[in-house]
Amino acid sequence: MFFPRTMSEIELIVPSKDMLAVTKVLSGYGVFHQTDSNYPGVASGSRNTWQEDAAVYVTLERRIQLLMQVLSVDDGQPPAAQTDSIVELDALRPKVDELEGEVKGVSEELAGGRKRLEQLESTLHQLEPVEDIDVDISSLREPQYLFSMLGTIPSNNIDRLKTSLARIPYVFLTLRSDPVKPVVWLAGSRANSDVLERAARSAYLNPLVLPEDYQGTPAQIIADIRNSINQTQRNVDELQKKLSGIAESKSGQLRELLWQAHTSRVLADAIVRFGQLRHTYVITGWVPADRLDVLTQRLRQASREILIEALPTTRHGDIRNVPVALPNWPILKPFQMLVTIYSRPHYGELDPTFLIAFTFPLLFGAMFGDVGQGLVLAILGWLVSSGKIKPLKSMASLGLLIAICGVSAAVFGFLYGSVFGFEEEFLGIKIHPLWISPIHNILQILMVTVGGGVVLLIIAFLLSIVNGFLSRNWGHLLFGHTGVAGFLLYISFLGLIGSTLLKLPIPPIVFIVLAVISGLAVMLSEVLIDLVEGHRPHFEGGVGTYLIQAPVELFEAVISLLSNSLSFVRVGAFAVAHGGLSSAIFILAQLASPTHGLGYWLAIVIGNIFIVGFEGLIVGIQTMRLHYYEFLGKFFTGGGLRFEPLTLQPAEREESPV
Amino acid sequence: MAASGVWGYAAISARVRAMYADLLDPQDFARLSDAPDLPTLISQLKPTAYGPSTEGLKEGEVTPQKLLLQIKGRLADSYNSVIHQAPGNTRSLLLNRYRYYEVDNLKAVLRGILAGADWENIRDILFPFGSLGILPAQAMLETGSIAGAVELLAGTLYEEPLSFAMRRYNVEQNLFSLEVALDLFHWRELWQATKELRGNDRAQAFKIVGALMDMNNLMWVIRYRVYHRLSEEELINYTLPFGFRVRDEDVRAIAAGADIASVVQGVYLGLSDVGALLDEPRRGLPQLEVRLKRHLMDQCISAFIGDPFHIGVPLAFLVLSDLEIQDLTVLIEAKSSGMPEEAYQPYLLRSVAPVRA
Repeated sequence: MFFPRTMSEIELIVPSKDMLAVTKVLSGYGVFHQTDSNYPGVASGSRNTWQEDAAVYVTLERRIQLLMQVLSVDDGQPPAAQTDSIVELDALRPKVDELEGEVKGVSEELAGGRKRLEQLESTLHQLEPVEDIDVDISSLREPQYLFSMLGTIPSNNIDRLKTSLARIPYVFLTLRSDPVKPVVWLAGSRANSDVLERAARSAYLNPLVLPEDYQGTPAQIIADIRNSINQTQRNVDELQKKLSGIAESKSGQLRELLWQAHTSRVLADAIVRFGQLRHTYVITGWVPADRLDVLTQRLRQASREILIEALPTTRHGDIRNVPVALPNWPILKPFQMLVTIYSRPHYGELDPTFLIAFTFPLLFGAMFGDVGQGLVLAILGWLVSSGKIKPLKSMASLGLLIAICGVSAAVFGFLYGSVFGFEEEFLGIKIHPLWISPIHNILQILMVTVGGGVVLLIIAFLLSIVNGFLSRNWGHLLFGHTGVAGFLLYISFLGLIGSTLLKLPIPPIVFIVLAVISGLAVMLSEVLIDLVEGHRPHFEGGVGTYLIQAPVELFEAVISLLSNSLSFVRVGAFAVAHGGLSSAIFILAQLASPTHGLGYWLAIVIGNIFIVGFEGLIVGIQTMRLHYYEFLGKFFTGGGLRFEPLTLQPAEREESPV
Repeated sequence: MAASGVWGYAAISARVRAMYADLLDPQDFARLSDAPDLPTLISQLKPTAYGPSTEGLKEGEVTPQKLLLQIKGRLADSYNSVIHQAPGNTRSLLLNRYRYYEVDNLKAVLRGILAGADWENIRDILFPFGSLGILPAQAMLETGSIAGAVELLAGTLYEEPLSFAMRRYNVEQNLFSLEVALDLFHWRELWQATKELRGNDRAQAFKIVGALMDMNNLMWVIRYRVYHRLSEEELINYTLPFGFRVRDEDVRAIAAGADIASVVQGVYLGLSDVGALLDEPRRGLPQLEVRLKRHLMDQCISAFIGDPFHIGVPLAFLVLSDLEIQDLTVLIEAKSSGMPEEAYQPYLLRSVAPVRA
């Protein structure tokens, strides 16, 4: 729980004849994180064949998915039958070709029908504004004595067009007003058609295309077009029905084919990364240590002659390539998500998920303490996490986080004595804070939260020291800004403040000496780390530059210690602001209805919705900021490689229980 | 009102004044003009505010195009800086003015598509618009077709004007219709943004934007009539009915066939010999444009006199910067092709003072 899962590196030598069986075990069990063992000198000709096959399987999988998309068939669950083997391309391809042929004709006809429908609707849309004109459309198309142009024009150009025609008689009517594309009719004497034509063209009046194959008045044509639309719609519906029929009869086959193509593609992809010797294959990768025995057993069942070498892995040294699986409980998943957004822990360090699961709700609740609003958040979060709100289904893990934070806010609400912003009485029930009312004890709450921040920072320093020890990074452990030297510097400052303000029994000189020694260590940390690691000290830019830089770095370190600590004052400030915001809502409610009528309660409800939504979001962001900038940065390095086991199940993830 | 003006413009006014002081002085300009060749001109640019723009250029690989690109980058920086510091209600105007360069980029990309140019060739001639740009220039060029490129502008402010113009382009296969539509759209938007200002901001912006619009409108109608021989109705539709000095009646008079010189001299009382310039339009029209730009410069310089707390000051500074870069363009092109001073001097907006010893 506190560390990434322990991994074992394994190397398998597999006889060629057992290669497929072994691949099936590796991909079927879902615990093997494959690494590329296909290094130069090992690969041979057959690798290219597998590579080509893998590419063909990818194409087949895509073609099947496309067919399923056209037929609106979902992927469904993988079939229960044992289909974890490579299906020959020659067996798979003809089936896909056949299905494609069957679907393609109908779907193309359907696309054509829909396109015609679109065209008809567009023509109808163009003609509707002139429906009332009782003239034959052919006379509008080629009038004998009249220049006539029906079309759309940028609305900004209308005035200019009229100005440009000032010297000749014309008729200009806006048939349909539209801020962007008004439909207009320009007409004039045929003798002036050149001028009218040029003016219309230069004003970007785009003539409507009047349908050639329709006769009669616009109203008659519109009726004809509506008939055609109905007819085409019926054809489209029939074709759609036909496709649905195909979907119904072929969905099972399609899903089976998809699964076969997917399985074959995954296996072929894996084989491409095997190293091939003359008669054997070399397979390398990582397995969670607690699954090694079962995997070994299954591999030996699949191949009697397999050679398995498992190497234990330490948590220090060169661990960059070790994949990281985080074995956290499902309830901790949202907090793990918060950690992995920042960075995935590397194999040698503590996984801070458990700690964040404690501190995140704590800080959120402290800033947003209110029983009613907290419970509202908790219920909302629960609804989101349960998937009951369909549009928010993809945010299920976030829902759990909101729910936990809501519960914490409710607990703090009891401590602060606040229910939906009411602080003394709520619906006739007397309320008393179990601990403190932030808005009435501002200085006290600010001091407490800074104190809490100091405790969190001390924990962060200690964790950094533990991480330094685990990774045998002695230089950083002793002299790093977040190592022992940095920690002692911080403690000495705290001690100095404590001995001055709280009259601690330890004399201040002790802390001053400690501060000077640890400050010097922090200032010269780069040189000291080099020396501990056995390197010659490297002074970038020369010793002079270094001597100028080093005090500045110490100054920066001291300032950041101070600012990190004071940053937590925002927790108290938000607790106070929460009370202040509630008071403002009560003032507004009082203004809305001094007699506490409907207006009063409406204002209270709207105000609470605003607080839950707006302040909840801001507090969430602040909590995340405190963790990312002030807390995690102190001890957490990250940069770990994600554990991605070879698996045939598309939905399987690294952290799923295996 | 005045207090809000002071409040809103205190910072930007100081910044613009500082940038204004960085514009080339007559001595800098004379030294640049005296440079015998491009490398010398570049070395003369180094001590000026354009110095940092020349630093990234590798000696021996400098082309006029690359140098100009760097210099235009400075103008882009000025625009970005001014837009971000300007009071919120004036940003739309400044941004619209800045889009002038984007419209130019858009036209260049469309021309590049027709010419079958590579992205490497086009990239260096585009104005370095920066993060405010909305043009997917490379993707547009790579579509290889005008229709494809215009499709990529769906959802942008250019979609609407181009959707109308594309119908004409499809018939005529000539970029003229697209370019005119873009120009008209741009200047209408700029005028609209000017109209949306209030008080002194509006009055001062009208002077600068109006002066710009006057020059454009006049040059459009003259060019379309002289070069393209368009009809009256086309000339009216391809011009705009607003400006500062130039009234719609003036434009319509030229469109209707009135004597261009007398109309122009009626608007710009100080201009003389316009008739002589128009006798030989190929040489004369660029000269007329230079004279109108000099008027514009004077208009911009006058914005710096008096109350400094209005949008006219930053706007005037940006126009002056642009005009200065136009002069630098003339000098750079002239020096790189070894043109004698008397050949390029008529195209300079600023007069060259003798260099002090």
